[in-house]
Amino acid sequence: MVRENGSAEEALNLLRSRLCNPNFIFKPLSNSPDNNYSKLKFLVSSSITEACNNSLLLLGPRGSGKIAVLELVLSDLLLEYPDTLSVIKLNGLLHSDDNCAFKEIARQLCMENQLLFSKMASFDDNSQFMIAMLRECGLAHKTIIFVLDEFDLFAQGKQRLLYSLLDAMQSVTSQAVVIGVSCRLDADQLLEKRVRSRFSHRKLLFLPPSMEDLQRLLEHVLSLPVESSLPHDYTVEFNGKLKNILADERFKEIINTYLESDSTVNCLLRFLFRAVSYMDLESGFLSLENFKTALSNIQRQPKQECIKDCSILELYILVSMKRLEVKEQNSYNFNSMMKEYKIIHDSFKTSDYYAKNVCLRAFEHLLKRELICFTDNRGYNQSIEFRAVKLLVSSVELHQGLKSYRSCPSILLKLMEH
Amino acid sequence: MAKEKEETPQVSRRSTRYSLSNFNSNNGMETEKLNESCKTTLDNLFFGQEPISLEGLLSCFPGRRVQILEVLRHLGPINSSMPPMFIYGSASTGKTSVVLQIFRHLNRPFVYVSCLTCYSPRILFESILNQLLLHKKNAANGYSSAKKCEKPSDFINFLREALINVIDRFNGNSSKMSTSKSKGVQVNGRMIYLIFDSFELVREWDKSSTILPFLFGLADNLKMPEVGMIFISNTSPDMYHSSTGYIDPVPVYFPEYTEEELRQIFMINQVNRKLYSSFLDIVLRPFCRITRRVDELSTAISMLFKKYCEPLSDVGVVPNEEMKRKLFSHLQPHIAPALNEIFRVASHSSLESEANQETRRKGSGRKSVSCGDFDVIDFHMSTSAKYLLISAFLASRNPATLDASFFDSTGGSDGRKRKRKASEKTTGKKEAAEQELLMKGPGTFVLERLLAIFQCITSVGEDLLDEEEEGDDGLGVGGGRDGLMSDVLLQLSSLCSGNFIVKGASCPLEGSTRYRSTVSEELALKVARSIKFPLSKYLYRR
Repeated sequence: MVRENGSAEEALNLLRSRLCNPNFIFKPLSNSPDNNYSKLKFLVSSSITEACNNSLLLLGPRGSGKIAVLELVLSDLLLEYPDTLSVIKLNGLLHSDDNCAFKEIARQLCMENQLLFSKMASFDDNSQFMIAMLRECGLAHKTIIFVLDEFDLFAQGKQRLLYSLLDAMQSVTSQAVVIGVSCRLDADQLLEKRVRSRFSHRKLLFLPPSMEDLQRLLEHVLSLPVESSLPHDYTVEFNGKLKNILADERFKEIINTYLESDSTVNCLLRFLFRAVSYMDLESGFLSLENFKTALSNIQRQPKQECIKDCSILELYILVSMKRLEVKEQNSYNFNSMMKEYKIIHDSFKTSDYYAKNVCLRAFEHLLKRELICFTDNRGYNQSIEFRAVKLLVSSVELHQGLKSYRSCPSILLKLMEH
Repeated sequence: MAKEKEETPQVSRRSTRYSLSNFNSNNGMETEKLNESCKTTLDNLFFGQEPISLEGLLSCFPGRRVQILEVLRHLGPINSSMPPMFIYGSASTGKTSVVLQIFRHLNRPFVYVSCLTCYSPRILFESILNQLLLHKKNAANGYSSAKKCEKPSDFINFLREALINVIDRFNGNSSKMSTSKSKGVQVNGRMIYLIFDSFELVREWDKSSTILPFLFGLADNLKMPEVGMIFISNTSPDMYHSSTGYIDPVPVYFPEYTEEELRQIFMINQVNRKLYSSFLDIVLRPFCRITRRVDELSTAISMLFKKYCEPLSDVGVVPNEEMKRKLFSHLQPHIAPALNEIFRVASHSSLESEANQETRRKGSGRKSVSCGDFDVIDFHMSTSAKYLLISAFLASRNPATLDASFFDSTGGSDGRKRKRKASEKTTGKKEAAEQELLMKGPGTFVLERLLAIFQCITSVGEDLLDEEEEGDDGLGVGGGRDGLMSDVLLQLSSLCSGNFIVKGASCPLEGSTRYRSTVSEELALKVARSIKFPLSKYLYRR
């Protein structure tokens, strides 16, 4: 029994590390012909062998594996063509400022070629260094691959980096490939005219995987490898149980429901991670229940949860604001809400009538929960009671929240129904 | 060594009494202690206290069992990587304390930063790097950070270096320990976790254009499976907007406590459990209708509990049914006013005055306790500041065109405005005007108007004071009224910083700043009463 526990834990660790490692996930996708991996590999390797410049864009929603496939291609090419390849990686979030970008390029070039990098180098120094390196590498028949992640962020502002990079590629004898990666499908429309003319319009689209691909992916990720340190019978039994689950109709339904909201591979991986973390360590096998609980835990309704967290006084405040909206008062503030609250109390003789300072504090709690917010952004010269507010929950959500609230006062439900 | 210092103090500069008294006794030991505490080791990355068991952890946090197990499952067994985790829930639901105690239980290394204390990206980056590089800010290095780091691009490079360094040291330590078979071996593993607390404040930093997606994508950018990220936030992940988007972390939700869980929490560490439980039976439900936050409830009911125990001579007694009924009837009249005071944190002086009032009133039968508080302001203000406050209130309340009639030499309105019988049209107009007052708030005024009103009412106040001949106030107004002007401007700026008066936008035509008074009528009346100023005569009633 102890050995089984240890092997269950080992299996769990293996599955978890697989799910966090994008390189492992996208490997099976690289085996089929005529997909993005092979196209990309062909493009880059042809520009290496033919010693020419090239540029292309990888486009697709977040989490579809663009960077993962690119990494696979690059690691394969580094094995095939050692010493003729160097990779410079830039990220639009970090390096959209030109100074930063050139400094980073210079730093990475220095690291690749074992040169000393000086932090004090100016912008001009760095850009001249880059052009010089391009020329030298071109003469030595080494290809430099520039990977620009978050490409659309580089295309904001003056696009100096893009222009100088693409211009250098055209004017200097260089061998460089510029690969832009972006989640905006119209990233090439963002380019300036002069940049766009120097950019070849090759695009690779990363689409969500088809059902067969998904099935293969699930099997590939979740099956335990037979040749590992885990006991053989355990592995075989695990894989057998897994096959049963994957073939189950209910499991297919769960996966379909989940993919309806977001069909990228990364999202699916998050779901699988959650399910795997629920694996029962005592039995050591995955079950359908794990997937069901993971689904209910990942698909949340935050606004409903927020309303359930409110106290009864806060619900009164929300309902008063709702009634003010129904009465078509376009803008209202805390004071008008208090008036409505008093009207409710007078007409229904509720037991929940509290003083102004208590209501003000509950109002501030609602602001903090982000169920209501101020409509003006600069109202710093007005006290809280006079600033205009608005609701951030719709009346349907509020009604639903009240209905599922434990021990909600019936007055509130009645008021919402009008 | 301390003795030598005692004999020759050599105090050449002026020193405070405190430093002189401590100088002789502690100086030698202090420098030694400083040298010892200078060195931070890898152990500083752990929680530092005795690790607790799972049952201890679960019993520490009643009502959080589901959440603790979920976080533990997500963290997983030792040395297993995880995608970023996002813990959210409203305030005071135990998120931070649960996470820290979980790390104490698991005994794994972590780096904790709070986006509340590290309020800008630079401070955040430097704090993380300081912890990873085991750098402590002290007098020796001039309280500076290990590395100056402002931009995210620098941060990610430094972070990667520091993390690789730390993880190598862990690997080295664990291999050393396994070979030497020392006792008390720490099960470190190779993972290190970064915890970002109060993460919702990051949205305000640069309108989340780059810093928010950067932090969410930090795990992906680092490409190090040995690092785990945990974000703790007050708001749910759907309230985080970013124009370019980011990969969602895995959410874990901490709901607010239900009434039963609150009861369990309050019963922890109570000496007399039966007594406290009968007290909670009465008090918890009405208070939970207003708020379910532990911090607010605990201050509110602790005061009530003192009142509840008053008739008991022996606090350790176990109450039976009759005693419970008696205690309930004693407490009941205090509950309703306490509900309206629930969010009030009593200042020290008001607590004392309440205690005095109680001893005085014990013989005089039941009276509501808090009526005494309504007439007295419980903070101190100088007399000129009080006059300024009243002038500001009047300037905001009264329209400027009526100043002349209110503040003429006859000293206030003498009821010249006799109200005619209200017709329907005027009542309608009155309601509209009231509505406008509710919506718009107090009006703005210029500095000159405020000072003019101030001059008028201080002259009125002078007359009143002379009539009553109270010398103990010692205003000194009569002597140099001009001498008061510079004081007045100083007082004005302190009232502004105290948010009694707020600076509004300046009028584009005139260019002078306008001010607005933010005090309520109650407070203004209280202040006026304390200096015996007839405020109601000067108020414009529509």
